[in-house]
Amino acid sequence: MNLRALKAPAVLAAALMVVVAAGCTDTTVAPKSTVTNANVFKDQNAYEQLIARVYSGLAVSGQQGPAGNPDIQGIDEGFSQYLRLYWELEELPTDEAVIGWNDQGLPPLNTDTWTAQSRMVVAMYYRIFFQVVMANEFLRETSDSALATRPAISGALKAKISQYRAEARFLRALSYWHGIDLFGSIPLVTDSSAIGGAPPAQASRSDLYNYVVSELQAIKDSLPANTPDNYGRATAGADEMLLAELYLNAGVYTGTPDYADALTAAQNVINNYGYTLDPSYRHLFEADNNKSPEIIFPITQDGQNTQTYGGVTFLAHAACGGSMNAGDYGIDYCWGGTRLKQQAYNLYAPNDPRASYFYTTGQTVDVGTIGDFTSGVAAPKFINMTSGGQPGSNPTFVDTDFPLFRLGEAYLIYAEAELRGGGGDATTALNYINALRVRAYGDSSAVVPADSLTLQFVLNERGRELLWEAHRRTDLIRFGMFSGGSYNWAWKGGVAAGTSISACRDIFPLPASEIVANPNLKQNAGACTQ
Amino acid sequence: MRRLRFVVGALLAVCWIAPLSAQQGTGTISGRVTDASTKQPIAGAMVTYGTHNTQASADGNYVLAGIAPGTDTLHVKMIGYAPHAEAVTVTAGQISVVNVAMTQRAVTLSQIVVVGYGQQRAGDVTGSVKQINSADFNKGQIVSPQALIQSKVAGVQVIDNNAPGGGLSVRIRGTTSVNASSEPIYVVDGVVLAPGGGLSTTGDPLNFLNSDDIASITVLKDAAAASIYGANAANGVVLITTKTGHGAPHITYSTSVSASSVTRVPSVLNASQFAAAVAQYAPSRVSMLGSANTDWFNQVEQTGWGQQQNIAIAGSGNENSYRLSLGYLKQNGIIKNNSTQRLSVGLNFDQRLLNDDLQLRANVAGSRTFEQQVPGDVLGNAVTMAPTQPVVDSTSASGYWDWNTSGAAPSNPVASNNLSDNHGITWRSVGNVQGDYKLPFLRALRVHVNLGYDFTQADYEGFAPSILADQSRALHGQLNLSNSSQMNQLLEVYGEYEAPLSPHAGRITLQGGYAYSKSHAEYPSFSETNLASDLLGTNGVPGSSQPPVVNKTVTDSKLISFFGRMNYNLNDEYLLSALVRRDGSSKFGPSNAWGVFPAFSAAWRISKEPFLSGISALSDLKLRASWGKTGNEAFADYQQYPTFTYSNTQAQYQFGNQFITTIRPSAVDPNIKWEATTTTDFGADFALFGSRVSGSFDWYRKNTSGLIFTVPVAAGTNFSNYLTTNIGSMRNQGVELALNTALFQSSERGGFNWEADFTASHNSNELTSITSTGSQLIQVGGIAGGVGSTIQVLEPGVPVNSFYVCPQAYDGSGKPIEGQYIDTTGATVNACDASALRPYHNPAPSWILGHTSSMTMGSFDLSFTLRAYLGNYVYNNVASANGAYQNTTNGGAPANMSSSVLQTGFVVPQFTSDIYVESGSFLRMDNITLGYSFHLQGAPTRVFVTVQNAFTITGYSGVDPTAGVNGIDNNIYPRSRTVTGGLRVQF
Repeated sequence: MNLRALKAPAVLAAALMVVVAAGCTDTTVAPKSTVTNANVFKDQNAYEQLIARVYSGLAVSGQQGPAGNPDIQGIDEGFSQYLRLYWELEELPTDEAVIGWNDQGLPPLNTDTWTAQSRMVVAMYYRIFFQVVMANEFLRETSDSALATRPAISGALKAKISQYRAEARFLRALSYWHGIDLFGSIPLVTDSSAIGGAPPAQASRSDLYNYVVSELQAIKDSLPANTPDNYGRATAGADEMLLAELYLNAGVYTGTPDYADALTAAQNVINNYGYTLDPSYRHLFEADNNKSPEIIFPITQDGQNTQTYGGVTFLAHAACGGSMNAGDYGIDYCWGGTRLKQQAYNLYAPNDPRASYFYTTGQTVDVGTIGDFTSGVAAPKFINMTSGGQPGSNPTFVDTDFPLFRLGEAYLIYAEAELRGGGGDATTALNYINALRVRAYGDSSAVVPADSLTLQFVLNERGRELLWEAHRRTDLIRFGMFSGGSYNWAWKGGVAAGTSISACRDIFPLPASEIVANPNLKQNAGACTQ
Repeated sequence: MRRLRFVVGALLAVCWIAPLSAQQGTGTISGRVTDASTKQPIAGAMVTYGTHNTQASADGNYVLAGIAPGTDTLHVKMIGYAPHAEAVTVTAGQISVVNVAMTQRAVTLSQIVVVGYGQQRAGDVTGSVKQINSADFNKGQIVSPQALIQSKVAGVQVIDNNAPGGGLSVRIRGTTSVNASSEPIYVVDGVVLAPGGGLSTTGDPLNFLNSDDIASITVLKDAAAASIYGANAANGVVLITTKTGHGAPHITYSTSVSASSVTRVPSVLNASQFAAAVAQYAPSRVSMLGSANTDWFNQVEQTGWGQQQNIAIAGSGNENSYRLSLGYLKQNGIIKNNSTQRLSVGLNFDQRLLNDDLQLRANVAGSRTFEQQVPGDVLGNAVTMAPTQPVVDSTSASGYWDWNTSGAAPSNPVASNNLSDNHGITWRSVGNVQGDYKLPFLRALRVHVNLGYDFTQADYEGFAPSILADQSRALHGQLNLSNSSQMNQLLEVYGEYEAPLSPHAGRITLQGGYAYSKSHAEYPSFSETNLASDLLGTNGVPGSSQPPVVNKTVTDSKLISFFGRMNYNLNDEYLLSALVRRDGSSKFGPSNAWGVFPAFSAAWRISKEPFLSGISALSDLKLRASWGKTGNEAFADYQQYPTFTYSNTQAQYQFGNQFITTIRPSAVDPNIKWEATTTTDFGADFALFGSRVSGSFDWYRKNTSGLIFTVPVAAGTNFSNYLTTNIGSMRNQGVELALNTALFQSSERGGFNWEADFTASHNSNELTSITSTGSQLIQVGGIAGGVGSTIQVLEPGVPVNSFYVCPQAYDGSGKPIEGQYIDTTGATVNACDASALRPYHNPAPSWILGHTSSMTMGSFDLSFTLRAYLGNYVYNNVASANGAYQNTTNGGAPANMSSSVLQTGFVVPQFTSDIYVESGSFLRMDNITLGYSFHLQGAPTRVFVTVQNAFTITGYSGVDPTAGVNGIDNNIYPRSRTVTGGLRVQF
């Protein structure tokens, strides 16, 4: 055998070994200086940090407070904050508020003349889905199959995680409620939809309603208890309150009212969770309102640690202007934007203490000029002062939390559901209404008799009690008084005295850019696009 | 028996006699083969006559003996020469002397060009490749190697940077990307450098290479040539080959000294014009003005001296060759305190073993560069600082005069330049070891192994003392330190088989290989403001009232490739080439981890066809066509992984009495992949009149798809409403023409020779789409002035980075009316908004023309290079940001203005007026060199004088029409004219 003949295969074999030894056809390189989903959960605090992110989506605008590393792109970061957008969409198109700024997308809200490109409408849509996707991600990362791929966790952490999961589902349901209420038929995206997958298809308003209701019922008993340590988190009381809101508006969402369930839910909130009316109405909107026994679910803010240019910072600064002294409200300077429309002002009796903080010096009652702060009564409802008269920890960013749900509204829901035939007891309803008035006035001077308790009265009382708490648009639509000409307020439809607006104004249109980006979406037939 | 003997004897006699009579009856042909024009002998020419053949010896002589009498054709062939045939009659017993003078045919045919992973004869190349050798490089004081081929290669635009050693940008056939890099890939002696050339804090990353060590630079322009580099090749490939040793050992020493001076500075108001403007528009500030007459640019500029010393020892023996070089370069900038210094070492060693079957080669290049940089605000402040103020002030803390105000105001550029200290130090070494083994049992197969590394340590230190005026208003002193490092390693193995394709005609070359490269980089950085003391400069960390910002990032990446190539050559007449490369990169998402990049090309040497061989003037004409795909992976790492960002302390959420930090996943496209370019190229290489005129012509079209953009995505599909993904597309199309002519060729030594080369290239670029649904408009091109102002647009249907401005309205006498514009319907409007903004010209030149002439006469040589750009536009940001009288009332002190304000009369800046988008077409004399060669005690020596940037003819009113990659002149470094004198001696 010629040794030389062996050389060929030997050399080739050696060459092949070199190639194989060099080893690689594996191109994966994991990042070292950034935390990715490959290594983030090695730190077991990450679960709490991720659920905290779902909560903070309601309170801040990005990963850097007060501004920086924004969640939503394509819009000024301060404008894109969740609470600020929700408040603008719920209050400015109604009889309660007007804002004098020219920021793109704001003026059409004052006059109910928005389009599918109006920037605040578009941003709210993205904010809702940012919350939904973040909650879905939490659920995906804490599913049993995901947890099985990681090192075993302690029983205590497992229990916490299952609570967090219920909270994520609550927050997702909350944002879907806002989505159903504002936009009507939107896509239903759950944790089974993968990131980067196909653009989602729309679900009908009633299907979404049923989904949200079923979610809330399923998680109620898994949510954390109402203790001071859990302040800021979703509790069973918050879950029941959200159910009450949904049932109350079921007629609008599905066409079939459900006042009986609304009444039961409101009753449960009032009786079962230990909430009581705050003896001071004003305290609900002050810098230390985290101590209030009445708040069921807050969006927390903090001058040092939860800073944003949206949120309650916006509400406190924008309501101050004209000749008002910023220091009286615990803030550094006034932004001069929001005031009352005269219809909201005129709802109050002259001696109603709930209007005592209104600022009228130099302000007219009628909103003659939208852009002029002195046109319309100023209502600095949310202030950065504690109940002891001390300013909050930071004059620029307020400590005042936003009471998304509070006990007082449960009383009003009971009364309205009872009047609409949802069962219950008329005397209880009257007592609840009067309890609010007694708390407001400090005595029984404003107690109303039974025959005063009509639906119109309840709507007006909601306007007095829940002024500027982001309920008005939903209420007016439920009462059928938002669109159409039965109730006209200042600047409704762009006319100073107000005029009838089309029924298409009862829902906001899906953003035009979204119709372009998602071929599976169709503009909702009932919405106005221009 | 006797009859048998007779027969045998007769047969033997016949056997003996036959040769004898043959010898007596044969003839011989001999002669000498020479070059018809140079008269030099041609060694190795193949001489054939009937069945006899031989090769000419070193002196050109040949002998063909033992030829039967008669007439037949004598053929003489040599590569690079037209084949010679003539009838020769051979007479018995006589020697026919036939001397053959052969005419050159496209000498470039036989030139060896470097192509990816190997070499080819220029005549065999089917793609669009251009090689420039060191004799043809640009002359003068050159710091960055890309400048050596500026204006020499059609289709290649080298975008200037006037700072000494400043980073250059190279565009081959237009801009191919928006958000990934558009720079070509550089390969140095077979080591592929990181995209962009690598890491550097001292100007261009390629500055580590001493231009004196470079033997040739080859540009691979089309897909057929570049696809062998696969996912990195979409922007073209530049191969750099360093010099090796030849001949007897010798030392080459060269030295030069240069002086640079400023050619043009921005035109601003002088002291009296400024004082008049302040008196008219800000009369309350007249009392603030001083009575000096300071020309601030004059105060900060200087004559930039420079020198270069290079020494190289090289030689070759029978079995090896070597070259060792040392170089030192120092170049001062034309702004004071600005300089770059480089110490470089290069070593090439080549060893042949085992009967030349095994060739080992080692290349190492290393350098240390130190650059003292101009602080970023100096050039801007030289424009805006008031000319009525003095430079020094003995009563101030810094010793320099500055405005005493807390509002925004210009600061003293001399103070900033003298008291700040920004410098970078880069250590870099690139090297490799290659082994090439021709298998002894299979001579047609050779195996090549290449092991390479590329190591960089780039340190940066920057310090601004707190006593400087703008520091005292804002950061109160600044200290920035960083120590970035990068290590790249490379392993390549390939086998090449070259043999005749028997039984079929022609030769085939097959190549197959594997490459693995990985990169590791670390970026630690430290920055501190509010310094407690100015005394430590960059040498220590003073305390501070604010915590320092300390950061560190580590990035790793990998690229794994398999490639194969087939070249088929039939008689040098029909050439076919096919190649494919499969690249996997760590940057691609898992479902797109591997990309395939094929290319096909063919060439037809049509001049060999019978219907063209009669045209004697046509020495060579080769038609070629190619199609191929390349990729661009020069974007950030880890884009496919959702990263979790921690919230800062101010964005936490409250749970009970605690605040919880939050984490947020980023929006990602897990399928992100390379940007893909498909190139089609039709071209022709030709040579006329021997090699007197040669050149090439190309028409090409490049379609790029999957451009990376950050675009809106459907809500609910990702973690944010915007996503960075592959979605856009772009097209580049153009023509290139290159012509090399020997205008004058003297046959005698010392006669006048003139070689003239011309290049012309035209490229038209169009961004064809951004998103697939609906049209998108992205505004880019940030400018100084205003807040977040942008001046360019990415819009489907127009070239990339088109300027986005409004047409200025003019009055009857041609003066612009401030604030008035013409909208798209032709009506005059009072604001430059969406109805009036439109894309208007773009920074890329429509035509790039280059011309190089080299003349020799006797011992003198003269060469010059001219360059012209036509159709490029520049946005004069210096004029737009400072061209309004509002500069006198703004901020805390009046600022000086550009002299454009005297023509426009604007009071409020009009950033988006098209009056500031100026034509940047220019003609520039890039360099002129005059040299004289002689012998200094037997050693060949050449002394020379070179002028770089001798003159520029342009209509642009700003400093330099080649104002950077995106065409925005925002206080760019002024251009200098450099005179260099030196000598080079070899002994």
